[in-house]
Amino acid sequence: MSINILPIIKKEFKSYFNSPIAYIVLVAFLVFTSVWLFYLQQFFTRNVASLRIYFGIIPVVFIFLMPAITMRSWAEEKKMGTIEILLTLPFKEGELVIGKFLAALGMLIIMMMLTLPIPLLLSPFGTFDWGEIFSQYFGLLLIGAAGISLGLFISAQATNQLSAFIIGVIVLLFLTLVAQVTQVAQLPPWAAGFFNYLSLGYHFESFGRGLIDSRDLFYYLLVISLFLYLNTKTLVFQKWH
Amino acid sequence: MIAVSNLGKRYGSLEAVKNVTFEIPTGEVIGLLGPNGAGKTTIMKILTGYIYPSYGSAEINGYSIFNDPLEIKRSVGYLPENAPLYTDLNVMEYLNFVAESRRLQGEQKKQRMDWVVEECGLAEVVYRNIDEISKGYKQRTGLAQAIIHDPEILILDEPTTGLDPNQIIEIRELIKRFGREKTVILSTHRLQEVEATCKRVIILNEGEIVAQGTTEEIWREMKGETMLDLTLKGGTGPDDSILQVAGVKKLIERRELSKATFNLHLSLAPDSGALEGVFDWAIAKGYKILAMVPQRLSLEDIFIKLTGEESENVN
Repeated sequence: MSINILPIIKKEFKSYFNSPIAYIVLVAFLVFTSVWLFYLQQFFTRNVASLRIYFGIIPVVFIFLMPAITMRSWAEEKKMGTIEILLTLPFKEGELVIGKFLAALGMLIIMMMLTLPIPLLLSPFGTFDWGEIFSQYFGLLLIGAAGISLGLFISAQATNQLSAFIIGVIVLLFLTLVAQVTQVAQLPPWAAGFFNYLSLGYHFESFGRGLIDSRDLFYYLLVISLFLYLNTKTLVFQKWH
Repeated sequence: MIAVSNLGKRYGSLEAVKNVTFEIPTGEVIGLLGPNGAGKTTIMKILTGYIYPSYGSAEINGYSIFNDPLEIKRSVGYLPENAPLYTDLNVMEYLNFVAESRRLQGEQKKQRMDWVVEECGLAEVVYRNIDEISKGYKQRTGLAQAIIHDPEILILDEPTTGLDPNQIIEIRELIKRFGREKTVILSTHRLQEVEATCKRVIILNEGEIVAQGTTEEIWREMKGETMLDLTLKGGTGPDDSILQVAGVKKLIERRELSKATFNLHLSLAPDSGALEGVFDWAIAKGYKILAMVPQRLSLEDIFIKLTGEESENVN
């Protein structure tokens, strides 16, 4: 049998855009990142043709926005009882998880596309390194996807969307910013290395500088697939209880 | 064909279903009847593959709930309790999602969707958001979702709750029509539901089967006694001599309706010829019989006996 996930993706997408959540996320994202770049960081007075400062703040914004996208996915199904419909339709548990993941990824891609006007409109004002910008976008896609995978997993454990959101933010806050802590605190090298390796933010740094490092790529793919796998196992586990 | 054997489910220390065994042949409407918390919903959740049992097994058309969950999900249509729905979709979007999930495509999908909209009377609300439609429409949307792929087996958990009497009649008609060719299992705590739609019934109490069979079989098995409602006229009213009539077990109630008119409520031994005895007795005593109505034990009486008073009788 072929894999059957398209109906899930379509349904999730309709749910996003039939409720205010998608619009809130998109507007909040654009407003905050633009204010950051042009007002707080004074992009034009800096007089540097680099968007590193712009792409550098986006992982921080993701700490709040990725859980906002994923908080409903399982928690709301459980609360409304629709999970009983979903789990008795002819899908494998893995197909449901991948379907929800790809739908959320779709939201992320829409967010990314909405930022495209910024480099495009700024390009006449200086010579930008397009390779670096590509790497930055690629890194954002990976760190966002990792946040989504984690957020979905947390939503599958939660009983309502608010707790899924709060726990999601706390976990992402820790994982994204722990690398900053290791720079300030005097930690033994092995501990600093350990926390750096765990950190979603640390692995983004090279992408932000325009480098695609296969170790960082591997780290993100590992995080994404680990939590998608655990999410699937959670669904199977819950059938026994 | 559904075969359930020694099925049980524990939720922590609570054993919601205990050692349940039954078989349901194809083409029957069967009712799971029992008070709230009797285990009806749990059995349905196991049969649809939503949860696993703690022990025992269940097969649908030869497919095991453990080994072939996808086959089972394909052949079963399921309406969970309270008809949960995606409230941020409209009715059409929702039915379209279910149809596509069931791998209906193109012309076939369109046909099936038109058919369920017609069959479930949803034409007026197809483009309304689900959170805006009435409870009755929600229930019907849930039913539409369950039958859209023309399933071999239809499992309905309390399908008529929240509906008004006309809607209940419509849904029952639909269930009966479906039950001519397909197997339908419905759960209910209401007796009229079973009497109106089901050929066979499984009565559950505290997770166990307390009776099963056709409604006729259960009646026959359970009718330890027949009730007689007797109205007599004359004299100062009947005395206890009626208890000497062969087959009369008990004088349950005696009321004076008006002067010299009395109503008696008697319990008779089954097939004892007690009716004729009572008639002869009344003539001999000089009473006029105004009414003589034998009453079969209703399913309701049986139900109360099995689920409420049973433990008292046994102990």
